[in-house]
Amino acid sequence: MAEEAGDSVQDQNWWRSRRKRVWATATPLQGTVLLLLAAFLVGSFLLATAIGAMWLPLFDMIWDADSFAMERTIFLELRLPRVVMAGAVGATLALAGASLQGMFRNPLADPGLLGVASGAALGATSFIVLSGSVKIVNGFAQYALPVAASIGAAVVALFLYAFTKRQGQLNLITLILVGIAINAMGGVGIGILQYVSDDNQLRSLTFWMVGSFGRSTWDAIVPALLIMSPASFFLVRNTKVLDLLQLGEGEARNLGVDVIRVRRSIVLGVAAVVGAGVAIVGMIGFVGLVVPHIIRLLAGPSHRYVIPASAFLGAITVILADLLSRIVVAPAELPVGLVTAMIGSPCLIWLLAKARIHS
Amino acid sequence: MIQTSFKILIVTLLACTTCSLWACEEAEDVSRIAIAGGSLTEIVYLLGLEENIVGTDTTSLYPSSAQNFPSIGYVRALSAEGVISLRPTLLLGEDDVGPVTVVDQLEKLGLTVRTVPEEKTAQGIIEKSDCVASILGVSQEDKTKLKESLQEYVTRIESMRDKLGRIRVTLIFGINDGVPTVAGSGTSGNALLEMIGVDNVFSNISGWKPVSLEAMVESNPQVLVVPQRAVDISGGQEVVIQNKSIQMTEAGKKNQVVFHDTMALLGFGPRTLEAAEDVAMQILSMFSGVAVSKAEEN
Repeated sequence: MAEEAGDSVQDQNWWRSRRKRVWATATPLQGTVLLLLAAFLVGSFLLATAIGAMWLPLFDMIWDADSFAMERTIFLELRLPRVVMAGAVGATLALAGASLQGMFRNPLADPGLLGVASGAALGATSFIVLSGSVKIVNGFAQYALPVAASIGAAVVALFLYAFTKRQGQLNLITLILVGIAINAMGGVGIGILQYVSDDNQLRSLTFWMVGSFGRSTWDAIVPALLIMSPASFFLVRNTKVLDLLQLGEGEARNLGVDVIRVRRSIVLGVAAVVGAGVAIVGMIGFVGLVVPHIIRLLAGPSHRYVIPASAFLGAITVILADLLSRIVVAPAELPVGLVTAMIGSPCLIWLLAKARIHS
Repeated sequence: MIQTSFKILIVTLLACTTCSLWACEEAEDVSRIAIAGGSLTEIVYLLGLEENIVGTDTTSLYPSSAQNFPSIGYVRALSAEGVISLRPTLLLGEDDVGPVTVVDQLEKLGLTVRTVPEEKTAQGIIEKSDCVASILGVSQEDKTKLKESLQEYVTRIESMRDKLGRIRVTLIFGINDGVPTVAGSGTSGNALLEMIGVDNVFSNISGWKPVSLEAMVESNPQVLVVPQRAVDISGGQEVVIQNKSIQMTEAGKKNQVVFHDTMALLGFGPRTLEAAEDVAMQILSMFSGVAVSKAEEN
């Protein structure tokens, strides 16, 4: 007992010095990148709220509120919640991706590849098809759909968690194979539901699957944001520990990191943000995978920098992708999931090619 | 809790019965119409009010000039800001117009939205046309004229029903990798076959479903009705007829196949009445004389 107590005092001392060292490792370059990203985020937020299918006289609207009542409503009720939701979903997806990559110490970890998003999709799909009378219980559906998606995501996340716990440290191939298996199971589940669903449900499903921020009303996004904020907090809190984890799990444990607790908080946090996001906007691919890579390429792998920077860049990416989806074929709309995948896939290939040259 | 949810249910139900009563109420301003639904576009053209259209959805394919308007996307995936940016005074929506949240948003912004009730029968088409005419403020006289002209089709279709009742038909929506997808119950294809009065051999399955070779041979349809879409995606009329499973049916052997434009067949606008009459006549001609008695033996 006495020895253990002595250890933990030592740990605390170590923590203090380590904390200083982590701060010290935030290089000027990383600081600059963070500041620039923050500025870009503000910029893209303003740009996305300023541009849309409808031309809005923003300055006139501020000075002359009465004669532009309709334009103000469009701005406040249609455009603003959309941009807020796009930012929130982008930030949390990138955050989830960066956290998972850190936790698994594996650059291919991503809510999509690991099947967490499939789980969320299956949860939401089951709800759409099996609840049948969604139209009548509309007010209820607003909360039930995110909950169903979160449950789906949580089931997959808990499975991954249990699997990784049993296997200890997973290698790359096993991880990808597990992800493929989960995605396949999710695909089968969704396929069965598609088969039993009627015409209307089928078409709802199709459009839900490719993703859209078109349903982002304040009523819909407030519950989602309420789930996302505490979950993001749990994810962001782990930055220091993630850096320690890079030394290896055994090392981290020796240095006083409660590996089990960290894993649990990351897995549950990822499940919550992905579930809440997927439920409102459908499937949005590649943000969680690609964004953290770009961030690391820009200024190094320290999680103290990677985690916040990923959140910023994720938000920027999805806000701009949604902006594109709104204006390219206006007054119609492109599914935003297609836009992110269209930008994301070539990015990933480029990254892989580059990484290969370096090695 | 249960009581409140019951109250909510009842209020919603009441709201919906009234909304269907109001659905056909004349709109205040019909000078700028956005349309979500191909059959509605067709009706607006039929009423000669196409100059008031400011935007159409991607299902508005007929007449082809309807495709020249700005597209507001797919009927079930409208964009609130996109629709509003056309500054319409009225949105005419098919009964599946959506997403629900977007329609709610548009109504909140003060846009008049009329969701036209739909029933997939001959009478339903007449009612739908009448409803659109009412919304657009067409005179009683013109409404009666429209109704009568559509009723003529229905009378002619009705007159053929008795002779067609026992003919076994399937409607093929497409052939993917050699497997035909057919119209089961609850589909627009089934509704069309019911309107004509023939026997849909696949009415025991629900939805659009791929059917195996065995199921096709066993149900042995005498006639195939094939929308142009199925021909296009299969790669030609011969490909459809020479499909292995179709070749083993009476329809395939005797080459009893009716091809027709997809939206005319399945859109359930006024053109569907014309298409139904045409299909009924073609089927009837296949079974005229000796063939009819043969069909009846089956």
